[in-house]
Amino acid sequence: MDEITPHVVFTLFNIPVRDTVTTTWIMIALITLMSIVINRRQPVALEALVDFLYDMVSDVMGRPAEPFLPFLGSLAIFIAVANIIDIIPLLDSPTRDINTPLALAVIVFFSVHYFGIRSKGLLGYLKGLASPIFMLPLEIIGQLSRTLSLTLRLFGNIFSAVLIVAIIFSLVPLIAPLPLIGLSLFTGLLQAYIFTALAAVYIAAGLEDSEPQKEDTSSEE
Amino acid sequence: MTDLDPGTLVTIVTIIVAGVGIIIGTAIPAIVEGRAVNKALEGIARQPDAAQDLRTTLLIAMALLESTAIYALLVILILLFANPLVDRIF
Repeated sequence: MDEITPHVVFTLFNIPVRDTVTTTWIMIALITLMSIVINRRQPVALEALVDFLYDMVSDVMGRPAEPFLPFLGSLAIFIAVANIIDIIPLLDSPTRDINTPLALAVIVFFSVHYFGIRSKGLLGYLKGLASPIFMLPLEIIGQLSRTLSLTLRLFGNIFSAVLIVAIIFSLVPLIAPLPLIGLSLFTGLLQAYIFTALAAVYIAAGLEDSEPQKEDTSSEE
Repeated sequence: MTDLDPGTLVTIVTIIVAGVGIIIGTAIPAIVEGRAVNKALEGIARQPDAAQDLRTTLLIAMALLESTAIYALLVILILLFANPLVDRIF
């Protein structure tokens, strides 16, 4: 259990910094470097990635995805890389620490309100939250519990995959963990998709249902 | 059997509860997910054009169903590795 829970790397002004944070720094450097290099060598590959994310988000939201693509796309890329960075030796997934999924879910929580207020205006958005007034407590509980469930889903999936690999490794170290590592990679990519899709669903639920969204996107460009 | 100390008793009960709990907590979501996949496959077989929509909805619904199993798993992990009762009873 001690090997797979995050451990403290160094302390900065008496604040312990765990390996989650340092791995995230390495990830940021890696993603930046990869996008620069791929952009120079094979720009078509990056275009294909952006196209894929655009189609996915538009499919889930049922509307053009331009205003939300920077946020949701970087969410998807971050979580996907964070889940599969486990295969690099000496690095552990940041999502195996519950603080990373919690931070991502809190960002989604605030962005739902941000996009909702930008689409409907402050008063319209508040009115939409409490359309019959007795729905307000239920709406608040719904908002909080969906944040909790986003956190626990990502954390539980990644942590359980890491735990299963560790248990099998302690029993049969040689070949047996390999299929489970492959399964954990698949789970990680699927969880990145699901986290992004659920964030898109939550954001779309806070927006207006009608067409004028299209003017918004055209003025955005 | 009568002279077990409380810590051992709590550990035994915890292990039994963890075993039974993980069975129930994964079997029921698995059955329900199987039903959802069954219906979605029937829908795809009847209307292959709607496969893309069905797949997206199915994945999101599966994630929501799967989270109940994850809750059970997390509770059992807490029981096994960070049991709050073991320290409190002594």
